Amino acid sequence: MSNQKKRNFQIEAFKHRVVVDPKYAERTWKIIEHAIHEIYNHNASGLSFEELYRNAYNMVLHKFGDKLYSGLVTTMSAHLKEISKSIQVAQGALFLEELNRKWNDHNKALQMIRDILMYMDRTYIPNTRKTPVHELGLNLWRDYIIHSGKIQSRLLSTLLELVHKERTGEVIDRGLMRNIIKMLMDLGSSVYQEDFEKPFLEVSAEFYKVESQKFIECCDCGDYLKKAEIRLNEEIERVAHYLDVKSEAKITNVVEKEMIANHMTRLVQMENSGLVNMLLNDKYEDLGKMYNLFKRVPNGLSMIRDVMTSHLRETGRQLVTDVESSKDPVEFVQRLLDERDKYDKIICQAFSNSKTFQNALNSSFEYFINLNSRSPEFISLFVDDKLRKGLKGVTEEDVEIILDKVMMLFRYLREKDVFEKYYKQHLAKRLLLGKTVCDDAERSLIVKLKTECGYQFTSKLEGMFTDMKTSEDTMQGFYANHPELADGPTLVVQVLTTGSWPTQPTITCNLPTEMATLCEKFRSHYLGTHTGRRLSWQTNMGTADIKATFGKGQKHELNVSTYQMCVLMLFNNSDMLSYKEIEQATEIPTSDLKRCLQSMACVKGKNVLRKEPMSKDIGTDDAFFVNDKFTSKFYKVKIGTVVAQKESEPEKLETRQRVEEDRKPQIEAAVVRIMKSRRVLDHNNVIAEVTKQLQSRFLANPTEIKKRIESLIEREFLERDSADRKVYRYLA
Amino acid sequence: MHKLGRGHRDKVQQFMTITGASEKIALQALKASDWHLEGAFDFFYSQPHKSYTDTTHLEELYNRYKDPYTDMILADGITLLCNDLKVDPQDIVMLVVSWHMKASTMCEYSKEEFFTGLQALGIDSLEKFLERISFMRSELKDEQKFREIYNFAFGWAKEKGQKSLALDTAIGMWQLLFAEKQWPFVDHWCQFLEARHNKAISRDTWSQLLEFARTVDPALSNYDAEGAWPYLIDEFVEYLNENGIIQNGQF
Repeated sequence: MSNQKKRNFQIEAFKHRVVVDPKYAERTWKIIEHAIHEIYNHNASGLSFEELYRNAYNMVLHKFGDKLYSGLVTTMSAHLKEISKSIQVAQGALFLEELNRKWNDHNKALQMIRDILMYMDRTYIPNTRKTPVHELGLNLWRDYIIHSGKIQSRLLSTLLELVHKERTGEVIDRGLMRNIIKMLMDLGSSVYQEDFEKPFLEVSAEFYKVESQKFIECCDCGDYLKKAEIRLNEEIERVAHYLDVKSEAKITNVVEKEMIANHMTRLVQMENSGLVNMLLNDKYEDLGKMYNLFKRVPNGLSMIRDVMTSHLRETGRQLVTDVESSKDPVEFVQRLLDERDKYDKIICQAFSNSKTFQNALNSSFEYFINLNSRSPEFISLFVDDKLRKGLKGVTEEDVEIILDKVMMLFRYLREKDVFEKYYKQHLAKRLLLGKTVCDDAERSLIVKLKTECGYQFTSKLEGMFTDMKTSEDTMQGFYANHPELADGPTLVVQVLTTGSWPTQPTITCNLPTEMATLCEKFRSHYLGTHTGRRLSWQTNMGTADIKATFGKGQKHELNVSTYQMCVLMLFNNSDMLSYKEIEQATEIPTSDLKRCLQSMACVKGKNVLRKEPMSKDIGTDDAFFVNDKFTSKFYKVKIGTVVAQKESEPEKLETRQRVEEDRKPQIEAAVVRIMKSRRVLDHNNVIAEVTKQLQSRFLANPTEIKKRIESLIEREFLERDSADRKVYRYLA
Repeated sequence: MHKLGRGHRDKVQQFMTITGASEKIALQALKASDWHLEGAFDFFYSQPHKSYTDTTHLEELYNRYKDPYTDMILADGITLLCNDLKVDPQDIVMLVVSWHMKASTMCEYSKEEFFTGLQALGIDSLEKFLERISFMRSELKDEQKFREIYNFAFGWAKEKGQKSLALDTAIGMWQLLFAEKQWPFVDHWCQFLEARHNKAISRDTWSQLLEFARTVDPALSNYDAEGAWPYLIDEFVEYLNENGIIQNGQF
């Protein structure tokens, strides 16, 4: 075939130009404009969505987007101007309602208009970077309605007035409020904030300032707190109901500042109802309120804590330095425990067990307990009392609770070694006189002390228990080996290891012959099995049970001290004995002898001896007789038990001296330990390290430490550095 | 000597006269200092003096003072020595002598100590001894030597076998020593000790007192309470303050 044919099949570009009639654009616009009018006039039902959409589409397609857009702006603005007028003429309460209604209308209209103009929204507007239809509608509403001079201020004042009404107890239309506020939020957060929130916060601040002033003048602390709490909750509720959730923090800040922060000090210090009063009267509810409210405010809690601390310290200080309460140690300690329980409960119930409050409590106790130098002694006496009788019939758990509480007080002590000394003394008496009511409780406390202070603290105490047990076994062995003694007086010996037990001067006296021979037999028995040991009899610590028959045949069993036994046995051989004779025969030291005779001759109900003259004091010329007229309801009569007493002044001094003496080697050991590991160290650091190491037992005195260092230099454990005299060197 | 030039010979002569050294030592010293007399003296005095003293002379001297029954110089001998030297037995220069001798205790010198000391001082005759007195006095002015002598005094003055120095002996020594050193508090210190302390003085307290006297000024303005001073010194400062001797830093 020829090429010509092929040429005929060329396809050419479409050259037919479609010319749009300019009048076409105008006509199309008019249609749409009309539709917008109808929509705003609630006449949308007669419109065809499809037709309108197509018209808008065509306009944009044919490059008439500009005309469409500007037309939209003009038309909508015109309508909004009308609407604005109608809102402005609304009277009173109808104002908001009208605004709300028109807003809803506008939204509906806007929705429809946007649907119609969707093609423009999606193509023309992004290309020209104009405001999309919906947003345009909102902006126009904002500009023509909300920010119109007449409406803007009226709207704000109306809203604020309603809030105020509600605050004063009136009921308002919350739904309406919610809608209006939502409208503002929809218009943009800056609109909400500028046109409502900011002024709202200012007015609220003013309101609460006035209200809080009013309350504080007429209410007591508890009432004020109640009211503040109510207001706070109200505001939170208000936000939840009809404000932007972001406003909650802001409005609560306002309330907190005006009602709480500004009046914090005055509230706390209110006479008769302030914090101190609440603490004294255990007003848990009010305290809890205060805690929760003050928690919201900077420095609120620390203010409560500070006031509580200073009050507690003052109370504690009075408690501890009160002369009256020092007379009864058990009472003294019980009051401390009660005080601690009280505050524990307060912190637990009202202060949500806050750690910082616990710490404040602990530091306060630590402060005032150590103000009285006898606290360690008293705590030991308290424990002594409980272990002797106070724990009879108490359940195991309750025992643990009491001991744990005592341990808490123990922890506060700075001079724990003083406590140890007294505890040892009291424990010795309890063990030797068989006074412990509850063995388990004793051991439990030792375990607690060991956990707290380490093995060294309790090793001697445990040694004491071991001695008691070992002595039992020894006695069994003794009587097993000497069956011939089974008929004679029963001897019970406690062999105490020196060093574990509190040091006592060894005072002997003359025992009655029967006892003396028995004791000798025991001594040889014991030394037979334990060579290399030395036994010394401590006659000032023993007891004896003797059967006595009095003038009218009345028989009694007397429980007496060893000294008393020696004295009484003398009367087996004489009817009358003078003081001097007794002294000579028994060789009991004078003060002990006098006390011993006094307890047997001058105490009602225990007067197994009769004395001439019948005075209360023992004179060196007195004469003694067995009191044949002695009577007692009981068969067993206990005379003159030595109970652990609060020490007399000279005894106290002596104990303190011994404690000071004991501290010296401890300080030296600490210095040597530190210098051995550090080799070279300057003076101030040595003092600091030693104090730290000994902290768990007692507070070391820097002067004392210095003296010990000098002693160590003297004994060539340390030397001063030749270049710097403030530095010490360890000498191996 | 004949090998030397006239000038040198003169110098050797001069040297021997002044120092009392032998010719051999004189030559040694002058050669070492390039025949300058000053340098030679320095050289000579910084050397440990060993061999130029005549041992026989020393024997003679020793025998003069030694106790008839023991091989030591005892109190009588020392008194005689002091007389010969025309010094008071309490004179502090005797302490310096003892220091050179490294004497272990006061009021007696062993033969060895006597010999050691005199050899160290270059003395083998009484004349030489007398000459050296002023030198020994001058040694007390030297800070370092004074400290050594002071610290030596503690061991020397205390009883044999004791660790501490008896209080009255210590006070006596302090009076003597601080007369040289001019410490303004020496009397107050002694009073304080007699009133408050009444116990022996430890070595540490002794040596630290010198440091205290040296470093702390009379108004106590640079006294540091945390300065690791012995406890006794701290108490002394308190005493001064209590009794108004120091008031507001004024003495």
